[in-house]
Parts: sequence; structure tokens; C-alpha cells
Amino acid sequence: MDSTPSFTDADLARLSDSDKQELKDFIDKESKRTKFQAQSHNLTDICWKKCFATSTIKSGALEKSEETCLANCVGRFLDLNVATLKHVQSMRH
Amino acid sequence: MDSDAVKKAIIRQVLVESNTNNSRQLFEARYHYRANEHCFDKCVPKPGSSMSSSETTCASLCMEKYINAWNKVNQTLIQRLQAESGTSFSA
Repeated sequence: MDSTPSFTDADLARLSDSDKQELKDFIDKESKRTKFQAQSHNLTDICWKKCFATSTIKSGALEKSEETCLANCVGRFLDLNVATLKHVQSMRH
Repeated sequence: MDSDAVKKAIIRQVLVESNTNNSRQLFEARYHYRANEHCFDKCVPKPGSSMSSSETTCASLCMEKYINAWNKVNQTLIQRLQAESGTSFSA
């Protein structure tokens, strides 16, 4: 792996406006991607409890029923999230 | 360095850092801890004086399953987001 490159103010001053915009968009996208992956970690934790609570582990691969359970778990968690948000918002009025 | 070279170098650095961060996340700190806790519950219900071979086998299958579960969850989230926003999204 490269050693960490360092940028001087002079380097940064050389960026054109269009390159600055492109960098800004890129960093926004990366930061969304990181948050998204953190959500995947949290949901794996939550859905593991729902989908694997009573089963014994026979293989490392996911069975069809486990895949369905995980997909439903994620879907309903997000549905509930929306419903909760609406409820909280309605309490403000 | 000209503008394009500076831009590319910054992009490369951000990618290296965020990718290292994410793969670390899955196995370290609280995510590692959560996977370990789930697999401990599942594979070592009554801890003995040492790990038995069946416990060890279970633990390694369980870790593999946990990673597969993460991938499934991630993929489901992506599909949901795409369906809701109607745009393509890569994570």
C-alpha cells in the first residue's frame, strides 16, 4: 500500500472548479456508502437474532428459508422505521 | 501536480481509507464482538474446560454464515433503496 500522500495548500489551490465539484460529489457518495455499510452491520445484528435464534448451524451457506427471513427482516424493519417516524411527527402537531 | 493529478490522488486516498475502515469494521470492535457473541450463544451453549471439536467446527461455520447474512442484508438494503429512489446505487 502507498504511504499516505500529503497535499500541500499549493497542490489544493491548483484544483480547477470542476475538479473541486467532482471531489465534493465523490466524498458525499463515499460518506453515504460508509453510513450505508454501518446500517448493514446493525441490521445483520438485529436480524440474526430473529432468523437464527432457534436453528442449529449445519453449514456456512445460507439456506433458502434463511435468505427469505433476512430479506423480510430488513424490509419490515425499514417499514417500521417509517411508521415510527410518522407517529413521532404526528405527535408534534 | 496539476489539477487532475491532485484530484486523482485525493480520490485514491479516500478509497484506501474507507475500504480499510469497512473491512476492519466487520471483524473488529463491536461488529466482531457481535458476531462472536452470536456464535458463542449458538455453538457453546454450555462452556466446558476446553473447546470441543464440534464446537470449533460450529464456530467456523457460524462465522461463515454470519458473513453470508451480512451480504444478504446489504444486498436487500441496496435493492430497497433502488426501488425507493428509482436510481441505481452502488455500495
